[in-house]
Amino acid sequence: MKDDERSDAIPSDEEMVERGRAGDDGALSALVERHHAAAYRVAFSMLRDSDAAQDVVQDSFIKAFRALEGFRGDSSFRTWVLTIVGNEARGALRRRGRRRETALEDAGPVPSEQKAPDAEVVDAQEAERARRMMESLPEKQKLSVALRIEEGLSFKEIGEIIGSSEGAARVNYFHGIRRLRELMQ
Amino acid sequence: MSNTKCETVREWIPDYVSGRPGGLDAALLESHLKACDECSAEVGLARLIFESPVDAPDGLARRVREAVRYDRASDSRPWWGVSAAAVAALALGIGISSDNPAQIEISVPAYAYESEAGDLWLSDDGLIAGAPVLDGLTDEALLQLLDELDVGGAGGAA
Repeated sequence: MKDDERSDAIPSDEEMVERGRAGDDGALSALVERHHAAAYRVAFSMLRDSDAAQDVVQDSFIKAFRALEGFRGDSSFRTWVLTIVGNEARGALRRRGRRRETALEDAGPVPSEQKAPDAEVVDAQEAERARRMMESLPEKQKLSVALRIEEGLSFKEIGEIIGSSEGAARVNYFHGIRRLRELMQ
Repeated sequence: MSNTKCETVREWIPDYVSGRPGGLDAALLESHLKACDECSAEVGLARLIFESPVDAPDGLARRVREAVRYDRASDSRPWWGVSAAAVAALALGIGISSDNPAQIEISVPAYAYESEAGDLWLSDDGLIAGAPVLDGLTDEALLQLLDELDVGGAGGAA
């Protein structure tokens, strides 16, 4: 289920954060349940390594909960934890001493594979192709596209996560989309 | 083409494909898409991305929950246990450094005597149970030691 497909009856993140501050471990577990998938997508899109991404997700939640007292609520909990994930993933990249980010100029178009007649298979192939194209985008473009489309974040929230202004996040998104469309043609 | 500008439509395409409430009326957006191949193509791309998300591995949520629980449990060490030990050490220290140990009275319930006759911890012998470490420490130094031992309480509040 997507994070925002929740009924009104379910406590908000803000309520869960308050409960967590009061020592309610169940509330923290609920926050993990809600946001671990988005956290993983962000970490994986940066690291391209499932094990490393899972480590980053785990460390990020631990750090977030340790710092819960200092969380002022200026941004949503989700934006806050995804920002921590982004920072942790960047740290992991630095520790690895290499970046997966590939220059756009080097990427080139990925050839379309032979399509099977079944429409679903065709869609799956196209989706996989789009994924591979996204991997070739510079990190900020890739994250902007993923966070805007997959997570539904605003450009302001995306800016907080990637360490840019709202305007820069918007530019990164539209550049990424334009480049993806070029690559997909 | 409708009057709605492509720039406006493209801003809200991610919300449109995901079914999230956006800042543009869906009917208005669809009207624009019927007449605009560029924006329609962008909707197709956004839909591909949205409908094929990277799935989190099975068990990740459980793994994170357990790690969080472990971290919190280790972070909230039973500070009262450490403090009690520090208080006991302090009491021993005071007893050892006192000129007249007989003046120090420690109230001990009867069951303690029954279970541990000749209890070493109640002895005023400074050579017993590591007490020499405290020998010669001033009260101020002992209080500082108490503060340092009480790490669990400080960590729990952070």
